[in-house]
Amino acid sequence: MALILLLLVPLLTGLVLVAAGRAWSDRTVLGVGLGAASLSLVLAVVTAVQRPVVDRAWLPELGVRSHFSVDGISIPLVLLTAIIGLLVVIHAFEEVPTGGTTGGFVGCLLLVVGGALATFAARDVIMFFLAFELVLVPMWALITRYGDPHRPVGRVEAGWRFVLYTAFGSALMLVGILLLVASTGTSDMGELLEAGAALPGGRQLTIALLLVVGLAVKVPVFPLHTWLPSAHTIAPTAGSVLLAAVLLKMGTYGLVRLPLGMVPEGFAAVAPWLAIAGVTGIIWGGLVCLVERDLKRLIAYSSVAHMGFVVLSIASGTEAGVQAALYGNLAHGVISALLFVIVGGLKRRWGVVDLGQPLPSLREIAPARGFFLILGLAAALGLPGLAGFWGEFFAILAAWSPADPATTTIFRTCAVVAAIGGALAAAYCLRVARVLWAGDSHVEWAPNVGPGPMEPTPSAHSTEEVGTSRVESADRAASGGPVGTSSALSTTTQEVETVGIERAVHVVLAVGIFALGLLPWLVINLMQPAVRTLIGGQP
Amino acid sequence: MTAQRLVLVFALAGLFGLFAARSPLIARILAVGASGAMALVAAWAMVQVTEPVTINWLAAGFDLGRVSVPLDLGTSPTTAAIAFAVALVAAAVQAYSTWYLRDDDRYPIFAATVSTFTAAMLLVVHSRDLILTLVGWEVMGWCSYLLIGHWTRKESARRAAHKAFLVTRIADIGFVLGVVGLTVGAGTTNLDGVIAHWITPLDCDPGASCAGPDPVLRNVLLVLLVIGVLGKSAQLPFQDWLPDAMEGPTPASALIHAATMVAAGTVVLASLFPILAQADVARWVLALSVTFTMLGAAILAFGQSDLKRLLAWSTVSQVAIMLSALAALPPTVGPDAGLFHLWSHAIFKSLLFLSIGLLGVIAGGTSAVLLRGSGLRSRLGRWGFLIGLVALAGVPFTVGGLSKEHVIAEVYAAATDGGPALVVLIGLLLTVVATAAYSTRAWLVISELIDVDDPVEAVAELAEESRRRRAESLVPHHRSTANIVLVTLGVLTLVGGLILFTDVFDLHGLSWLWTGITVLLVIVGAGLAFALGRDGDPGVRLVGRRAALFDNGFGAGAAYHFLVARPVVRVARVVAFLDTNVIDGYVRGAAVAARLGGAGAERAHERERTRTAPWLVVLGLVVVFAIGALAWR
Repeated sequence: MALILLLLVPLLTGLVLVAAGRAWSDRTVLGVGLGAASLSLVLAVVTAVQRPVVDRAWLPELGVRSHFSVDGISIPLVLLTAIIGLLVVIHAFEEVPTGGTTGGFVGCLLLVVGGALATFAARDVIMFFLAFELVLVPMWALITRYGDPHRPVGRVEAGWRFVLYTAFGSALMLVGILLLVASTGTSDMGELLEAGAALPGGRQLTIALLLVVGLAVKVPVFPLHTWLPSAHTIAPTAGSVLLAAVLLKMGTYGLVRLPLGMVPEGFAAVAPWLAIAGVTGIIWGGLVCLVERDLKRLIAYSSVAHMGFVVLSIASGTEAGVQAALYGNLAHGVISALLFVIVGGLKRRWGVVDLGQPLPSLREIAPARGFFLILGLAAALGLPGLAGFWGEFFAILAAWSPADPATTTIFRTCAVVAAIGGALAAAYCLRVARVLWAGDSHVEWAPNVGPGPMEPTPSAHSTEEVGTSRVESADRAASGGPVGTSSALSTTTQEVETVGIERAVHVVLAVGIFALGLLPWLVINLMQPAVRTLIGGQP
Repeated sequence: MTAQRLVLVFALAGLFGLFAARSPLIARILAVGASGAMALVAAWAMVQVTEPVTINWLAAGFDLGRVSVPLDLGTSPTTAAIAFAVALVAAAVQAYSTWYLRDDDRYPIFAATVSTFTAAMLLVVHSRDLILTLVGWEVMGWCSYLLIGHWTRKESARRAAHKAFLVTRIADIGFVLGVVGLTVGAGTTNLDGVIAHWITPLDCDPGASCAGPDPVLRNVLLVLLVIGVLGKSAQLPFQDWLPDAMEGPTPASALIHAATMVAAGTVVLASLFPILAQADVARWVLALSVTFTMLGAAILAFGQSDLKRLLAWSTVSQVAIMLSALAALPPTVGPDAGLFHLWSHAIFKSLLFLSIGLLGVIAGGTSAVLLRGSGLRSRLGRWGFLIGLVALAGVPFTVGGLSKEHVIAEVYAAATDGGPALVVLIGLLLTVVATAAYSTRAWLVISELIDVDDPVEAVAELAEESRRRRAESLVPHHRSTANIVLVTLGVLTLVGGLILFTDVFDLHGLSWLWTGITVLLVIVGAGLAFALGRDGDPGVRLVGRRAALFDNGFGAGAAYHFLVARPVVRVARVVAFLDTNVIDGYVRGAAVAARLGGAGAERAHERERTRTAPWLVVLGLVVVFAIGALAWR
């Protein structure tokens, strides 16, 4: 019961809001949205604890059943989706982008969340595909209608590109799924684990190829990633968060469930290529991040790099690999959500966050936002104790000994490249930190007392601060900054600092980052039985 | 028990410290209270722990595929001693910072970061699990980034922090891969399991077919690990980040140099010593790097125009001495000589940094010109610095002297068996001379035993001005905590050698012959400095116009820039170009092609005549039937 409600509550509320939201006041719409999202989270927790199963005939002629349940692999993702869903709805209290009604916006958010929940809970491949596709339309509306108001043409272009590109991927996946169902005669995921593995090698390879390429678009895997930066840059904050934290996860989840689980032989043949594409993405995304100026695009490219680690783990085909992939998935969901919330807030105030322009130091003018930024960057560069470390370290560990011993050399090379990619992540994260957090646009923030070239001597800085508020000192520094003070430079603490609802969203995500970083065994032990079942005979 | 307590209390102090960001008072109580209490706990543990214990804490282990990850901690007499040194230095730094950063608006964050830093180091010290070691290792790197960049309002501090983190993180590529390879091979991250898997039993005949690991792979993995250690410990070719890190507040430098970060490599390699001792290639890599580093850094130290940078290079040199013991000693002897030097270096180097912090405040800076004669203005600063320098130079019966002589004696004993020990021994002896020389130089500068002959008048005037201001505002007040800290560390530097009467470190006695030789070498070095310093700063005398070259470490920083940073950014530009114009080009091309195709089809449709249509239908039917016939079978 909880499971049916979990899927129906966001989907139906979303539909009602999209259809009838116009008639209601913004306050009512937000209230209804918040209620639905909170209820979904409660139901998700109940589902995670009780693990109910729903199995009814749906299209008996095609053998398609409406079969839903959750296991250790989907529970973390269901919870992540429900939490992120609640956060984006809460965030709507802070900011509803222009371009459409509030009802339409909140409705689309709920539809995306509902579709994602259905994707993670589906136990029937046809159902999985339907849920997977359900997410496309509301996401398209979020990008095209509610995206960056300054760029009307860019909105349309990014929306089309997102829909056409991912629909192309889905089409390949659909062919793969249909071929799989037609070859085995069942569409039940549990039965397919054995039935798929029993298929002849050639057929497995065809299916695996179709599924992997189709899902690789969604992940996205290099070189099929170019829809992501434009979609992320244009999408509103909530859209970017959902895109990064939920939609990309559907791609990697699909890779684990379908090709890896169901056609292991075929997947093993594709795996080295997938691994190579994954690590290429790590390096490629990392390098682009070193020179990209638009911060939102930069975070999008860093997603390509992080998903490269996830793809590498999946390609290794081992139990450790799947665990690493699912962990990396969760971690990236929380980290990129935090970064997009921070950057989205800045973008709303400044219009654009261009690292090439003089920017104020967040550490000076908005210490709390600065703290969240540096936390998010630390997590993104894989600092242990925060969420990002485990997934990426385990990815390298899994790649060191792949399931197929014949591919060990390829995978070890990939592991080395991935480790180099980790250092690259440090380079681009610190680049952002140096410009936006520490404030490298300014030569000096405060004059140094004393001539010592090395020793600034205690309180050299604070003497300037005593008796003046931070705002004043920031203003002073800003006005004394390099030629021409841009609009971003002249913002004040009140304008940039996180307060109220926005702060609460930041705090929840930060707690998530710490929790995933400090207590990895909780999730790993939760996933283990399901992963063992999925990997089957392999040790 | 103590192991978890030490790590957790410091970690919690760091975490709660973040919440006290608005209240310096609470931050102070939290930081000093926690570190002081833990220093006492660690001291008690050092007395109590008599044999190695492994602790499976929190029952937090899990399996990652075929690799079991038990996340064990452990204590032994040696780790207890090192943990004591770490906690002691942390407490000293925290107490000292309450004075030194009294007016700093970000003091609470600083204190919290120091606590976290200490927790990470204690985790590395107590870790019996390679993943925990890696966790502590990386967290330390991040904390050092925050501490070095504490004064982010300064451009130089931002750059130094950036450089420190990137250089060490690049070296950590090796460390991560080494850890991965070792754990996957052993099937466990537990240190004992890893060691058991990777060593060839000592009592096994080379000819007999006893099961040992692949020596090539072992060498490769250990070399990777050593690369990581060289990065964190600022050894060649990664040495250049450490002197720049002097941009951080002096207490942070004391922490980074004395007890954490740079010393961590020694702890990690010591815990893996049985494997390292059997990986000859890795030993040679380590030995060559540290031998050149210890001597080169000592020479660079002599020529620095800034005394804080002199201390930084001396750290590089002293850490090389610790590591040299690990590289040179055979498996039968064990790594404890290096660890003892770590222990004693922690005490005297923190004393040196905290003394020079005090003198720097009085003088208004830490360059040699400004510090000249500053020792005459503060008795405590003078004595603290002197005692520290005496230990640094290696005068017998101070902690530094005892530990250095142990390293030399044991390396000599090993040198007869071949291996890298002989190279290391030569390096060590030359380094003793150079160390004594630059220690003497530092003393001559601050005690004004040399004639004042200021080369730069303007700087001196400026100095006078700031000196007055500092002297008025800071020095007389609130120094009691700093004083207590300096006295404690000074006393420990003098009597710390008494630890040799316990069996904490597994050492093999001191040879009087080598003590005598060391004393001679120290006298030679000190005499050299005195001879050069008869009329002015011996450093200036020797280096002269090449001071800039010494100050920028012979241009290593520029080399990093030209050899690594610039090429990478160039490649990145190319990649960014390819991404938008080639990879995305196909995507846009597909869209354009579809649109053109659509337009073309539309036009073709317009032009087509009505009577062709039936023929097209017939053609279609033929095709369909043909397919049907072919597929019939």
